[in-house]
Amino acid sequence: MRRTSPISVYLSLLTALLCQLFPWVGQGVILRPDFMLVVILYWLLRSPNLCNVGTAWFAGLLVDLATGSLLGQHALTFSVTAFVALTYQRRLVLFNTWQLLAYVFALLMIERVLILLLKLFEGNENPGFMYFWPVITGLLLWQIMILLFGSLTRPKTN
Amino acid sequence: MLKGVHQKLEPQQSPAFFVRGPSPFSRMVFFCALSVSIMAADARFNYLSQVRQGFIAALHPLEVLANAPSEWTRDTKKYFSEHNRLVQENYALKEQAFEQQIKLQRFNTIEAENTHLRTLLNGNIPIQPKAILGEISHMGRDPFTHTVVVNRGSQHNIKAGQAVVDSKGVIGQVTRVYPFTSEVTLITDKELSIPIQIERNQLRAIAFGEGNNTLDIPYLPTNVDIKVGDKLVTSGIDGVYPSGLAVAIVTKIQQNPESPFAKIVSTPVADVSNHLQLLLLALPDYKEDELSKVAPIETTATKKELSNKNTALIKNKAKANAPH
Repeated sequence: MRRTSPISVYLSLLTALLCQLFPWVGQGVILRPDFMLVVILYWLLRSPNLCNVGTAWFAGLLVDLATGSLLGQHALTFSVTAFVALTYQRRLVLFNTWQLLAYVFALLMIERVLILLLKLFEGNENPGFMYFWPVITGLLLWQIMILLFGSLTRPKTN
Repeated sequence: MLKGVHQKLEPQQSPAFFVRGPSPFSRMVFFCALSVSIMAADARFNYLSQVRQGFIAALHPLEVLANAPSEWTRDTKKYFSEHNRLVQENYALKEQAFEQQIKLQRFNTIEAENTHLRTLLNGNIPIQPKAILGEISHMGRDPFTHTVVVNRGSQHNIKAGQAVVDSKGVIGQVTRVYPFTSEVTLITDKELSIPIQIERNQLRAIAFGEGNNTLDIPYLPTNVDIKVGDKLVTSGIDGVYPSGLAVAIVTKIQQNPESPFAKIVSTPVADVSNHLQLLLLALPDYKEDELSKVAPIETTATKKELSNKNTALIKNKAKANAPH
């Protein structure tokens, strides 16, 4: 089993928060991936002993504060997504790269749909198809995470 | 013997290697309940504005760090902007200042005359609103709302509810105040409404943000006297926005035969995307007292409450004046 140092977990989370705080303009606001979510999902799936639903909840709370939205919204969706991620976490070794990518896609989609439901419940208008762009950019970010910190699937053995 | 082994194994406990504390499901349930209660506390009771302010103040250094690259590029751009353009701009600005000075001379005499006439009539003298210059540090991060973040906060005496304008017209209203920054909700946001007047015929109405870059003036009959190109200015009835500031220009009037109301669409005159500087107008004193009592975030609600209070006051006065 690979070792994960807690320092890399917290440093990457801090960097994600920094990226979230970055002043995005124009197209960037639409295309901006959920940095915190992707990073927290990576660590959840890789080392669930360091990161659990509670960490995801706290990360969500930080995102709420950073975006200035209703406090607890992202915390709720992050913890639900983290739970779904953890249910299949032990079976990940059986997945190949594409299956894992599909799994992450599903997780990001779940979070987006949950946020959309909460926002609609709050009385916002349906933002349209553009709203789901961050899922795609989130997958790109996921690939970057894998490049930086290593793959989650089992290396190929003959 | 064998039976004994079975008995030993029967209470199957997972080895310490697999133990992960409470199961993810129970954790999820716990944290969901926690976040739902936080959401309720934030939305319904506004208990958490202090907590939010503290957190934002703690996040401030990170925010400065995140904003640094864009500020550097802005500064270098400024540094390398051509000499020629600056000279031209300087010339144009001087000309503008000259013209405005001439206008201002007339304005001063008219204002003096106006206050004099008002004192003769025992009327209230309109107070000149104080203003603080702010700069937009970035657009809001929530794609669902139309907000900008300004680099002036409670440390600079900014209060929630203040009107925000630029050189062309009204931009919006301060909705959240943090120690070093504050959040300005634009008039195009769905949550914000603004009392207006048609400049041409002094017709009063209320304009609502539509969530895209337009304003809507609902509940006016189809035969209302509004034309495309009419200028909307603030009426000053609410006491938040000083009267006579430009708000929007009517761009489209749709008449739907099925509806008794006209659909009047107008575009704001203030252009937040083109420049950074804006003015935060101070609230009138009586408004400040009342706004500080109620929750700062729900500005529309406070407006309603205020108008209710005002009507109650008027009723009381009427009662007092009534002959016994």
